[in-house]
Amino acid sequence: MIARLKPRLGADAALLVWLAAACRGSPVQPCPTQQVAAHQAQGPALPSPFDSLFATAGAEFHVPPALLASIGWAETRWQMVRGTEEFPGREARFGVMALRGHALERAAALAGVTVDAAERDPVANVRAAAALLDAYASAAAIDRTRIEEWSTVVTRYSDIELPDGRAAYLREVDRALARGGVRAGRGPRAVAASACSPPPGGAPDYASAVWRASPNFDQRASDATGAIHMVIIHTCESNYASCWSWLVNPVSQVSAHYVVNEDGSEISELVREQSRAWHIAASYDCPLNRRHDCWLNGVQSNHFTVGIEHAGFASQASFPAAQLAASATLVCDVTRDRGIPRDWQHIVGHGQLQPADRHDPGANWPWIAYVHLVQARCGEIVVDDSAEFNDPAVAVATLPAAWPTADTTPDYYGGGYRWAPTQAAATDGAAFAFLLAAPGARTVDARWTSGSNRSSRAAYAVVAATGDTAGVVRLDQTTGGGVWHTLGTWTLPAGWNRVVLLRKDASGAVVVADAIRVRD
Amino acid sequence: MVLLSGGACRREPPPTPPPPPGRPAAVAPAPQDTAFAGTTAPIDRIRATRAGAAGLHGIEATTTQAYDRIVFAFTGDSVPGYHAEYVHGPVRRCGSGDPVQFEGPVLLVIRFAPAQAHDEAGRPLPVERERAVGLPVVKEMKLVCDFEGQVEWVLGVAAAAPYRVSELARPARLVLDVKRAP
Repeated sequence: MIARLKPRLGADAALLVWLAAACRGSPVQPCPTQQVAAHQAQGPALPSPFDSLFATAGAEFHVPPALLASIGWAETRWQMVRGTEEFPGREARFGVMALRGHALERAAALAGVTVDAAERDPVANVRAAAALLDAYASAAAIDRTRIEEWSTVVTRYSDIELPDGRAAYLREVDRALARGGVRAGRGPRAVAASACSPPPGGAPDYASAVWRASPNFDQRASDATGAIHMVIIHTCESNYASCWSWLVNPVSQVSAHYVVNEDGSEISELVREQSRAWHIAASYDCPLNRRHDCWLNGVQSNHFTVGIEHAGFASQASFPAAQLAASATLVCDVTRDRGIPRDWQHIVGHGQLQPADRHDPGANWPWIAYVHLVQARCGEIVVDDSAEFNDPAVAVATLPAAWPTADTTPDYYGGGYRWAPTQAAATDGAAFAFLLAAPGARTVDARWTSGSNRSSRAAYAVVAATGDTAGVVRLDQTTGGGVWHTLGTWTLPAGWNRVVLLRKDASGAVVVADAIRVRD
Repeated sequence: MVLLSGGACRREPPPTPPPPPGRPAAVAPAPQDTAFAGTTAPIDRIRATRAGAAGLHGIEATTTQAYDRIVFAFTGDSVPGYHAEYVHGPVRRCGSGDPVQFEGPVLLVIRFAPAQAHDEAGRPLPVERERAVGLPVVKEMKLVCDFEGQVEWVLGVAAAAPYRVSELARPARLVLDVKRAP
């Protein structure tokens, strides 16, 4: 029986034994705190909601807080229960520690609280239980530094008469102790491998995601407003396990399609992309999104979006590179599958669309670099007219100063676009240069904002790094704004190749220089 | 588990005084409170912290001759940030955007951040999600949001009466009083 409370093998248990041994030598000294810190750094710390109470009450009454936590877990799974007498002679239990009957009255007296408080108030309940365990430990004259000696105290606390029942109770407490109160978890991978099955209908939408089904979803609208059109970036405001475990609970009434963990080593899929997850309350309001797709105004934003949560906080000073990389790979996959352009109107923060009460993913989400990362994962380079939206390592635009900037017509790439009137004698042009590390075939696309005053035959010259013009393509900019139009596919050399938008043409129209895209 | 040894070894008095005994969620209202002025304007107290959402674990609703009192009890030592205001129009759940129905048209919203009403394992803390309190002014209250570090309660009230909030520490509580009609 005594052996039941001996810690099992494993890092936690080994450390516990080591600490207990250290304590034995000097029972009046606190244990080495640096060891605690080292331990906590090893894995995710998922405290119970009562951890601070366990710690405080444990210190006050010289009872191991972990033992309080483990008893609380065994008794109530850390719920504040308000019991009723279910069977005659079986007393109603109260609080996270499930105090009852005479023991409850004694515990309350020992802790100096009223019975009512010990029943209903978490602080009083845990203190009362700790006081009772303290009294039992004193009566049994156990060596409190030896965890195994507490088994007699725990047995008495259980108030179970049947030997088999006592053993089962001790096993439960022991299990909670050995696993750090079922909250330390193991690696997320271990959980993933054992706890998750594929979703109904086959593999997750994202092949490497762990499927953890949430019931919190319904159907997207069947008309055009239900077509998946944007990706919404969130932060959980919590750690990963806390995040997904709440989002899969039917009580929460919230969800997301995906949750990315802190270091990018795991992504959960909770809701199929085809279904409407519940991650954004706001109805769409296009002025919040560069006046993009105003026809969706008033539509509940869950209908046309995919929601991606990220473990962490909107107030973070930065985000781990590995998390951003994993997230970008996911977004590449979603946007590729759903035909979503990879820009800042289609990959959008929760707080941007719901500014009244949301800020996530926060001011320090690296929006420009993040979208570049998504593009790179999908094998594309985009060159905007503005340096602000370019990755200067691979994309540089050179525009004549005389070409004005504008953002009047929506659906531009980046923060706006440049334009210039056509002139028969003009020799200047907007040059979009991109660096290819190796020669190869590339497809080149162009994007503009359309209008009736645009040129119907805007000329794009594709100029190889060698200086040779690979081709000149004319496209009609009077329509088709905001989407990519293919110029063609060429085999291009390594180095800085260019696409130059020319304005040499009969006067009377304007050409719009917004962005070009190069892809494998 | 590691705390176990630390706690068990400690024989000197604990470094911080334990919370006073008693029921933290219950704040006995004064029988007479003539100083109640209150406001019907929004009240905003932002507290941005990097982490550590306060856990909302208890709610108590009581009444006096002067006002109805709702006490929100939190884990930890201090109250999170909050925002209270009367709102018009439908209130929506913060995930689904679905409207939430109330008996009456007058709604007082109180939103906490960073806060959550569930634990780290995804289980709701012992706080009811809906409550028909049936007080003279405060008729019902519903939790419409517990997501991304925000907890939002909406109170269906009989009239847009002046209200006030006060904070209590150790344990952390936010006290919301809504004035009764004279």
